[in-house]
Amino acid sequence: MRVGVLCSRIRVEEKLIFKALRQRGADCERVDVNTITLGLSEGINGYDVVLLRCLSHSRALYASKLLGDNGQRTINAYEVIATSGDKLLTSLALVKHGVPTPCTKVAFTPQSALEAIEQMGYPVVLKPLNGSWGRLLAKINDRDAAETILEHKHTLGGYRHSIFYIQEYIDKPGRDIRSFVVGGEVIAAIYRHAPHCITNTARGGEAMACPLTPQIELISRAAAEAVGGGVVAIDILEAPDGRLLVSEVNHTPEFRNSIAPTGVDIPGRIVDYVLEVAAMEAGR
Amino acid sequence: MKLGILCSRIRLEEKLIFKALKERGVEYDRLDERHLALRLQANGPSTSSGHCLAEGACPEPCPERSRRGSERYDLIWCRSISHSRALYAFSILNGWGIRTVNSYQVVLTCGDKVLTTMALIRHGVPTPRTVVALSIEAALRAIEEMGYPVVLKPAVGSWGRLLSKVNHRETAEAVLMHKAALGGPMHSVFYIQEYVDKPSRDIRTLVVGDEVVYAIYRRSAHWITNTARGGKALPCPLSSEIRELSLAAAQAVGGGILAVDLMETDDGRLLVGEVNHTPEFHGAMQAVDVDIAGKMADYVLQQA
Repeated sequence: MRVGVLCSRIRVEEKLIFKALRQRGADCERVDVNTITLGLSEGINGYDVVLLRCLSHSRALYASKLLGDNGQRTINAYEVIATSGDKLLTSLALVKHGVPTPCTKVAFTPQSALEAIEQMGYPVVLKPLNGSWGRLLAKINDRDAAETILEHKHTLGGYRHSIFYIQEYIDKPGRDIRSFVVGGEVIAAIYRHAPHCITNTARGGEAMACPLTPQIELISRAAAEAVGGGVVAIDILEAPDGRLLVSEVNHTPEFRNSIAPTGVDIPGRIVDYVLEVAAMEAGR
Repeated sequence: MKLGILCSRIRLEEKLIFKALKERGVEYDRLDERHLALRLQANGPSTSSGHCLAEGACPEPCPERSRRGSERYDLIWCRSISHSRALYAFSILNGWGIRTVNSYQVVLTCGDKVLTTMALIRHGVPTPRTVVALSIEAALRAIEEMGYPVVLKPAVGSWGRLLSKVNHRETAEAVLMHKAALGGPMHSVFYIQEYVDKPSRDIRTLVVGDEVVYAIYRRSAHWITNTARGGKALPCPLSSEIRELSLAAAQAVGGGILAVDLMETDDGRLLVGEVNHTPEFHGAMQAVDVDIAGKMADYVLQQA
């Protein structure tokens, strides 16, 4: 039974994953996404499962498609990456599965986007359909801001910025919740505290342990299931009226800042799941 | 006298200018910048090449024909809608010793808001408080120091494009982040200006040489008052204060044919915002009864 780990830059997360794999005596190998080439009718030889840990969403997306179509199991699967890598597809999947999520509208031109924003009422949040670490997220407090941000997006142009994803702003209590779901099990959750509306720890959000309440477990599992399972992190917002809302799902979660506060061996749990899947695949 | 007009798209303004020149019996060549290749080793574009520099399509400009003893242009008038094309064409033409309206130096100064503001300040022309920052972090600090609202402008650009009125820190962060994503030299210099709470209008004057030809109000419910963005042109009495300030602003950037944007503050002062080196005037024509194209043509002919 062999595990391939497809990566580009080796962050703390990847180091911890390799360490966990070695500790378990797993037969594993690093596959560098910068050097491999893939044919259309072949997987990567000799691996029962390939864990995708590349930074780039598009590489993970197409690698998982190429491998998956050739019968090679990837974690995550193509569908999970495709859905959770796109905020609109994520929102649709969440709504379809009855997972509560903020009220969202999509517009296709700056003019119609402005109308939608004015209808929704300020503040709203504008997000690019893909992108991580809170990049180009904009909280829009007034019409002046809406006009200029929409114009900047329009000027940026391209695939990424020609669909306007508009979401009601949830007045969070200075924090949001990120939970980690591995193979259908909610293994840990943190609060990300930040005075800023963008709470990503990559942007200075501070991680603290969050007790795994039944509500958090329920909504996290439901969100993970909505996008297709696997290893995902769920971003959850607490509305002022106490409701929990899922805003995003991440298919290649960073977790270095979540281990210490939760005391959960996140890389170990991920690796256990990967090995379990690999054993199943090897036994087929 | 050989006159060339550098242009690309022919707007109403250019049609009126061509008409004014014809009325004055002046022949001119339309130099379509989209077809112009300026050979730097040559000695400047000539009028001798017939088809290639004449009105209409220009398959292959041949400026080097001037070496065969043809006449050089006495003056080239810029009516280009592209600042960068005008800028580089004029740097070459002026380098060849060919006069232009406006001069390269004027186009350079007016086309860049940082250079304009510096020229205005150097000449004692009142202008809004301005800070230039060279990084996002420095820009955010400068904005917070200046206090909200502020206006962010690209150093180069017209028609009110990509102007931002920033009322909150969150907007500042979002706008700066988007500018960084836009990238390029234009968006890595941050021009930050105090927001002047104008009375739903600003003033635009046209300076031609040492004459202020007209003043108009540009009325708009929006803080961006450009007529290109829906601002409505209305007549504005040409007070001596407006006249003097307009002339001072035009002089500060080097003089010529210039449109000056003035803002009225709530305490009654006038501030100069921008100076435009290739003014549009179809909006102003609705409001003032002046032969604008004729005035411009007369000035250009006088320079040639």
